[in-house]
Amino acid sequence: MEFSGRNDSETCPICLEPLLREAYLDRCFHAFCYQCIAQWSKFVKDKQSQSQSSSKCKFSIKCPLCKTENFSIVYNFDGVSFHRHYVNDNHHDSFFSSNHGLRAQCYRSEAGNLFNIQQYWKYHRYRQKNNWLQNWLRREIQTLTLEEDVDIIVHHIQGVLEAIFTRKGDSKQVTPEPRREEFRALLSDAAMPFLHGRTARFVDELELFLASGLNIEAYDRVYMHHLGISPPTEEARDPDPASD
Amino acid sequence: MITLLHDYQASRARLFKEYKEVQREKSADPDIQLVCDDSNIFKWTALIKGPSETPYEGGVFQLAFSIPEQYPLLPPQVRFLTKIFHPNVHFKTGEICLDILKNAWSPAWTLQSVCRAIIALMAHPEPDSPLNCDSGNLLRSGDIRGYYSMARMYTRLAAMPKKG
Repeated sequence: MEFSGRNDSETCPICLEPLLREAYLDRCFHAFCYQCIAQWSKFVKDKQSQSQSSSKCKFSIKCPLCKTENFSIVYNFDGVSFHRHYVNDNHHDSFFSSNHGLRAQCYRSEAGNLFNIQQYWKYHRYRQKNNWLQNWLRREIQTLTLEEDVDIIVHHIQGVLEAIFTRKGDSKQVTPEPRREEFRALLSDAAMPFLHGRTARFVDELELFLASGLNIEAYDRVYMHHLGISPPTEEARDPDPASD
Repeated sequence: MITLLHDYQASRARLFKEYKEVQREKSADPDIQLVCDDSNIFKWTALIKGPSETPYEGGVFQLAFSIPEQYPLLPPQVRFLTKIFHPNVHFKTGEICLDILKNAWSPAWTLQSVCRAIIALMAHPEPDSPLNCDSGNLLRSGDIRGYYSMARMYTRLAAMPKKG
């Protein structure tokens, strides 16, 4: 992928060194080292919270170069995915659990050949309702968009899935392969406006989850085993994200 | 404690970078001459030329920089060592009233660009936030000639080489 409009000198305006872990502000897209801009935003935030007793106020950060108001720092951009650090507070953390972190790790790795996808299509397993699908979709889309409220996207994707699986004229004459192709194509179209470059991997994962026939916890266990991560012990597991 | 040490090292590294940049581009801005203290990289002085078409023209003004260990998160402290008659400079202490040295500071500023901002301030005084009330009042009352002649006199007395 080509990057245009990039700073020629590739120098961080804060430390004056070559950019280390390139990070961008979300509105003006000026580039800094992640460490430098994160430290500056923390410094500004600490100063603001000292002078304003209200903890409810929204924090933003003015770009050190152009003074544009920005709300987050975008970093670890690899052409497809990125991370985002909100200046405001830890509202990111309130829903982003260790399970989200695990999923983010899954999306950075190659799609695993964990379950028998062919059989899923061949034996029309999609006709069975998957009760975990909605929660699974919510978590995945939260992980990929780093937004907490993803209800609209979840409902949209669910609607498309239902339409695909319950279509009239579903007969044995359709061979599994075209059915699978159609599923992937329709789902890509539905997810693309929200997930952009991460759509293809999302479709892989969704297909994999459906084919597994497992619930979310069991699916995660299998995936952790696949990635070589030891499962968290009961005590170490994050408490349910309290929402308030 | 660890963060303080980190800040200290980061600001040293950044000042060293600025030092190298100043050495490299010595002639880039003929109006500014920045010099680092021999033994302390947190102390600098600068010589700036008074901008043309101002009462400071022809004068050379010395600035003293004292740089905090949290630089560039915090701005450098700068004051005039050379006496100057200007609404935004304290006549006795040389303290400068300039937003970028206070609330509007950004870590993207450098010592060099701070000098440029001070030169711009010399050319465009802000009489509404005066540190030197006499100078501010002259300008606010519209007595440009009065301001000009006072500023000119002090430039001649303090910022220009003595003849003969």
